[in-house]
Amino acid sequence: MKLSLARLTATQKSGLAVALLGLVAAFAGSPYRGPVYTVDAQELARVVETTVDHVTAEDVADWIIQGRTDFRLIDLRTEGEFAEYHIPGAERVPLTALAGYGLQKNETIVIYSDGGIHSAQAWFLLTTQGYKGATMLFGGLEAWKDNVLFPRPAENPTPAQSVQFAKMKEVSKFFGGTPQMDSTAAVTAPSFTMPKLETPQGGAAARGTSPVKKKKEGC
Amino acid sequence: MNAPFFKFGLFGDNVSLIVAFLIGIGFGFFLERAGFGSARKLTAQFYLTDLTVFKVMFTAIITAMLGLFYLGWMGLVDLSLVYLTPTHLVPQIVGGFLLGAGFVVGGYCPGTACVAASTGKMDALINLLGIILGIVVFGELFPWVEGFYYATPMGQVTLPQLLNLSYGLVVFLVALMAIGAFAGATWVEKRMAARKGGQPS
Repeated sequence: MKLSLARLTATQKSGLAVALLGLVAAFAGSPYRGPVYTVDAQELARVVETTVDHVTAEDVADWIIQGRTDFRLIDLRTEGEFAEYHIPGAERVPLTALAGYGLQKNETIVIYSDGGIHSAQAWFLLTTQGYKGATMLFGGLEAWKDNVLFPRPAENPTPAQSVQFAKMKEVSKFFGGTPQMDSTAAVTAPSFTMPKLETPQGGAAARGTSPVKKKKEGC
Repeated sequence: MNAPFFKFGLFGDNVSLIVAFLIGIGFGFFLERAGFGSARKLTAQFYLTDLTVFKVMFTAIITAMLGLFYLGWMGLVDLSLVYLTPTHLVPQIVGGFLLGAGFVVGGYCPGTACVAASTGKMDALINLLGIILGIVVFGELFPWVEGFYYATPMGQVTLPQLLNLSYGLVVFLVALMAIGAFAGATWVEKRMAARKGGQPS
């Protein structure tokens, strides 16, 4: 009996194609990329320019208040500094331990340190290794203190700025901060006491203990 | 489907919603054209007289598997970026049976209920109301079922990791299994048609 391709039905041809592709796959080797990374400088520059590489302290505060669990907050500072104060829900990871820390390449990772330099360096390290969701906290912990914990009104506020400040006062209290009434107060004044380390209610207290809920896909 | 592009800021919320809308409409249209808007067609698979749904699902799995494998192998898709739903074995088996029982009783799975409702089928609209009610009840009961919901966690595992086989070999085995299942399903359909008194088609 002659085996001719033309005599097969479409279904049988598809089946044959699947069998062939499967057979080739068995010898094709791993489809995962190896540990060699190439840096697309132009792509990186574009990402930096469109500012998708950072989030503001106000945004992160909003996320924590909403109880969002779909992001990781990474603190790069020393153990002592971390024990003294950290943003609720943050995990302390030294720069050198970042790669092996078990972060997912497709999850949102917010990195912060005191200022912006260390987090920018960590962002570059992660991004070049394919962690596409890495972002920096804009201005680092300093911006968190200035804008979230100890917000102050603008000198001659516009109506929009007044509304924003009224909102930030509530946010500040949520995180145990002290809103400032004086627009010129220096950050070293005695009224700036760091909040005690208690996670605000309804915040990200559960993060890390219960698995992250993601959108399910189904038929 | 548009997740990678959306997530990395290649387009924003609005465009993402438009993309999702277009993909959703396309998906629904082809489901309807394939006859998946009919509860009779869908439930026929439980009487083993028409296994189209089974075959379509298997075809989708095989297409996605081969596509992802070869695109990853050619370096066009970074497989480490593909989101894997974490496995919680026992709750997911129970959930599967629950969905199956609802499918048998109601005649639709959630997606096909939407497809059928869009053509104005009353039973599908009732089915959708039931789905929404179920979502609300589950949401309200969640604190009580949370322990079970997260029971027996296995993390984000794939068959190659679980079986300790190479990725390509698993692709080959699943392809063979699909061909076997396809042939088996066709054979069962013919048997059932013959038993009904008609001629085997």
